[in-house]
Amino acid sequence: MRYIQRHSAFARGLHWIHTIACLSLFATGLILFIPSVAAAVGTATVQGARMVHRVMAVIFIVAPIVSMIISPKGFVHLWNSLFFKWDADDKEFMKKFFPYLLFGAKQHMPPQKINKSGQGAVDGVLIFASVFISLTGVVLWWPEFFGGPTSGLFQWSLVLHSGLMILIGVIMLAHIYLGAGIFQPYKGSGKLMFGNGRVTESDALYHWGHWAKDELKKGDNVIVE
Amino acid sequence: MAETAIMYDSSKCTACKGCQVACKQWNQLPSPLSSELFEYTESFQAPRDLGSNTWLIINFSEEDKEIGIDWNFMRNSCFHCTDAACEMACPVGAISHKDNGAVVIDQDKCIGCRYCVASCPFDVPRWDEAKNKTFKCWQCFDRTSAGRAPACVSTCPTDALQFGDRAEMLGLARERVSELKAAGFDKAEIYGEDELGGLHTIVVAHRGLEAHGLIRDPKIGLTDFWQFLKPLGAIGAGATVLGLGFSYFMARDYDRGEYSYDEATDTVSVKEVE
Ligand code: SF4
Ligand code: SF4
Ligand code: SF4
Repeated sequence: MRYIQRHSAFARGLHWIHTIACLSLFATGLILFIPSVAAAVGTATVQGARMVHRVMAVIFIVAPIVSMIISPKGFVHLWNSLFFKWDADDKEFMKKFFPYLLFGAKQHMPPQKINKSGQGAVDGVLIFASVFISLTGVVLWWPEFFGGPTSGLFQWSLVLHSGLMILIGVIMLAHIYLGAGIFQPYKGSGKLMFGNGRVTESDALYHWGHWAKDELKKGDNVIVE
Repeated sequence: MAETAIMYDSSKCTACKGCQVACKQWNQLPSPLSSELFEYTESFQAPRDLGSNTWLIINFSEEDKEIGIDWNFMRNSCFHCTDAACEMACPVGAISHKDNGAVVIDQDKCIGCRYCVASCPFDVPRWDEAKNKTFKCWQCFDRTSAGRAPACVSTCPTDALQFGDRAEMLGLARERVSELKAAGFDKAEIYGEDELGGLHTIVVAHRGLEAHGLIRDPKIGLTDFWQFLKPLGAIGAGATVLGLGFSYFMARDYDRGEYSYDEATDTVSVKEVE
């Protein structure tokens, strides 16, 4: 059986940290977003949740920045995965993606390079949303540096912070559905980030046809077991 | 409990500040004891602004006229709005309406987030940094629920402040506006009848709303939009889960087969899986 090493231990570690930060930010944020939940859990729990929210927010922001410094190569890779020129296969992938998602068994998808075009597009939105949810979060944390809570900036931050949470939440639901391999054609994907970072030859060919062929030809990252 | 309201008649107010003192006294709100701690206001107004320990002030906006000065006083405190932005914004449900229309903060529940401070169109709630709680006028609910008038009202020597059934207060205000108009105050107006669903502080502004610093047609603004995000978020999440559920259902039995690649011949083959 042949495998391709797709994600390094460093990338997986960062993904773990960000998963924990992200999920706890959601859980603690939702307490404040839904007043009936906050009322049900009581003031002390809400205050505890706010503290956890802030600690996790620091991790959420600092972890990717630190990893960018430690591994600039990873950053370049990410950059390239966002801004690459789409060829015919990439465009066709985007066109077929929703029918594929809804009727997975019937739709044949075109082969992809190291990153799927759709993934790149969603990642772009996600990074943009993450930067803005962080910036608005800073305003909400320290209003005194931004004209106080009666300033328009604070009020907009409140609205944007909530709106971006919804946007990121919806993307995350889809990300978990696909990434954890709940969607049948994506079965086994969870191991890529949460396991040893390897993908089987078959899965690699199915998901990233062009990339898999290149890797199998090159052989550097191929593991035979 | 019937809806009640405070009525403030600016034409009768002498700005004696008795109400300010009564509010502090009844609600046990300390004042700074050294004069240096009071900011100079350049007018007879004192203090300059509301605070976590100052729930009521009489605002001065003097206008120099050819003959004398127009003393346009205004009672600056919570209006106890029917559509209260502060209540909508509070993420923990610490702000609520009493049956009589009073809008009250429960400090035990307050987490000090200041969302209410950000939302109130009149800049009323004030945050106390040391306590990390927010405070404002509560229309002396302890007194009114026991059948007494709020402290500020009961101390007013000129009857510029009155308290009672809201409809009755509106009736008095209307009458007073007609009287004032007949006496030459042609800009006299009522404030609070319909604003934000109806306020529970009714104002007779004898020189017109603007002269007394009142906001004409106040809006809830962003808070409304923000609240709208909550059902939108629920719909978004619900629709996504439904869509993904459908996707799961449609693809549940799909098996894509075993892919393999032969580098020598550059061919990908797919073996059907039984
Ligand atoms: S005036 Fe401000 S604090 Fe008072 S009820 Fe209205 S929104 Fe709330
Ligand atoms: S500061 Fe207190 S009362 Fe105001 S919105 Fe936050 S929790 Fe509610
Ligand atoms: S109603 Fe009570 S709390 Fe409100 S301003 Fe008057 S005295 Fe103060």
